[in-house]
Order: sequence, then structure tokens, then C-alpha cells
Amino acid sequence: MTAGARDGGEIEALVTDRYLESLLAGGLGGSPAAGLAGLPGRRLSPDIGRAAARLRGDLPRLHPSFRFEERLAQRLAEVAAGLRLPAAAGGEGIVVPFGSPAGAGAGGGDPTAAFLFDAPLDERQDRVRPLLIGGALTSAALSLAGAAYVAWRRTRPPTTPMARAVRAVSRGRPA
Amino acid sequence: MARRAIWRVGQPEEAGRSRVTHLDRDHALVDAARVDPARFEALYRKYLAQVYSYAYYELGDHHDAEDATERTFVAALTNLGRFEERARPADGHGASTFRVWLFRIARNVVADRHRARSRRPETQLEAAEVLTVDPDLAGGVARREEARDAWQAVARLPGDRRRAVVLRFVDEMTTAEIAGVLGRSEGAVRVLIHRALRAVARDLGENRR
Repeated sequence: MTAGARDGGEIEALVTDRYLESLLAGGLGGSPAAGLAGLPGRRLSPDIGRAAARLRGDLPRLHPSFRFEERLAQRLAEVAAGLRLPAAAGGEGIVVPFGSPAGAGAGGGDPTAAFLFDAPLDERQDRVRPLLIGGALTSAALSLAGAAYVAWRRTRPPTTPMARAVRAVSRGRPA
Repeated sequence: MARRAIWRVGQPEEAGRSRVTHLDRDHALVDAARVDPARFEALYRKYLAQVYSYAYYELGDHHDAEDATERTFVAALTNLGRFEERARPADGHGASTFRVWLFRIARNVVADRHRARSRRPETQLEAAEVLTVDPDLAGGVARREEARDAWQAVARLPGDRRRAVVLRFVDEMTTAEIAGVLGRSEGAVRVLIHRALRAVARDLGENRR
């Protein structure tokens, strides 16, 4: 195919495209030439004009049954509920950096952090750590309970023969 | 590289006060659905008939079209976080990139169905007989036959020509939107539709004789 023929084909396609824009916008008023005002000297093939008019009238938009529509709406609602579950488990939580009480109270700090640090917590220097606030409060509570259990357990060493043997070996190991 | 999702309009001297606009007409609905997935329903109701029509014209069977429609919307909902607004000023007022994205999913779902059918032959998909004309079509028998001829002429078109015609005439997409759905340039889409119309004109002309 020559470059001229290819260009000719593209121009014809452009003319058809202009015509369709007007036809589908309902602005032709029955005159195919009206949509081609910006393309002087170019005429739409009458066959293409007739075919386009036929397709416009004979290709309706279809709608599924009401029953199907409602069933799928229900299914999507279930999927949406499933998507919200991870958020409930902490996905929507926000990370609040715990700064020092001095920094928070110096003005210009995060008001949330300032509120949290109204009373001093402890004197350690390494207390800057994130706290997840949101759906993970339950798991945080469980973690606190777990830490308390481990601390309590450490003060009460097991008295089984195996535990005694482990402690004896540990004491006998050179530092 | 992906285009910027938003475009700034307004004078440069309005530094710090420039207006930011989203060209995707579905921007607000998409944002709402991202915050609360239950609000995806608005997008679903808006595009149900369009997606279903596309699937029906492609598959020619109500059950298959329903199945494809369901898969399309479920995939869109579960992957909404991946959707990226890419409307350009050139897409014009009312351009909807969410609609393009949704139809790209529909196109893939329908293609999967086509592949499944080719492995397990059923009805000849491309055969014009698969499209049945609505018996309630106004105008009597002659009108129904005319409509059937047009549907059959479209059903006989090869792949992307048929899809482009359905997206243009049934879903009333712009050339730019069709280009986005089919993954082609706008010029290529114009040529596809022009050639499709020539073929349909020839087909309908032969039927008249």
C-alpha cells in the first residue's frame, strides 16, 4: 500500500469518525453533511452513512434481568463486607509516634501526643515507639497480657527435673 | 511511565491556590468506594447495562453474558485499589477512565470465556445466529428482520472491528475511550470502525438484493 493510499484511508476514517460523533450525539438532523463541517472537500460515502444509521437504530443497549441485577448486588455487598474485615483487624489504624513529654509539651508538637504526654510515663530515653490505634487494640491488650505472664513466669522458675538440670548447666558454663 | 493522575488548572501566579481538578467523571464515586467498598454499588448500578451489553454482544448468550458481567464487577471491586486515574485533557469533558479500566477487565473476562469455549466447543460464537433479536422490538416482523440483519452483519465482523463497533454504537464510547479499552491508538480505532462500517454496508447491501 502506498503512503498516499494509506493517508487517504486515514482521512476517510477521520471523516467517518466526525460523522459518527454527530450522529451519536443526535445532532445531525438527518443530514450526514452537517457532521463534516470542519472537513471541507470531504464527503462521507453514502453507504457508510446508511450503515451507521442502521446500526444506531438496531444495536440497542441491553439490560440483564432484575433478578440477576439484585443477586449480583447482593454478591458485591458480601465481597465488600469481606474487604472491610482486614480494616477492622487494624488496616485502618493510624500510627502515632510517642515523643518525649518535653517535646510534646513545648508547643508546636502533635496535640494528640501532647495530650497523651500530659503526665510523665517513665524516665527511659528509648521510649519512642509507635502505637497502632484502631482495630488492633484487642491484639495489643493480648500482647500486654502475654508480657505480664512471661514476667510473672520468670520470677517462678519451673521445678521439673529437666529445668533443674538446665539451670545447673547454665550456672556451670564459663562466662 | 504512568501519567499524572491529576491536572492543575489556573494561573501560575495563583501559587499555592491553584485549583486541582480530576477529569474522570467517576472520580467521586471511585473515591467513595475506596473508602467504603459498600459504596461500589453506585458504580455497579451505573455501568451494569453497559458491561452486560458488551458481554452479550460478544458472547451471544444471556447466561454467559451474566457470568462475564459478574466476574467483571467482582474483579473490579476487589482490585479497585489498583485503579489509577489517567484522564487527559485531550480526552475531553466527561472522559471516564474508570469506565475504560472496567471495560478492559470485561474484555479480558470475555476473552477467557472465548478461550474456554474453544477448548470445549459449543455454539459457534462468531455465527450470526447466536444473536437473537428482541421479540418485543417495535415495528413488526419487517422491523425485526431488519434488526436481525444488522446484528448478524456485526456478528460476522472480525474480533476488534466488532468490539469497536459495539463500544461505539451500544456503549457510546468516544474513540479515545475505545482506544484505551482495546489497547490501540485512536487512529487505529478510527480505521477499524471505518472498515467495519464498510463491511456492514456491503453485507446489508447484499441482503437487500
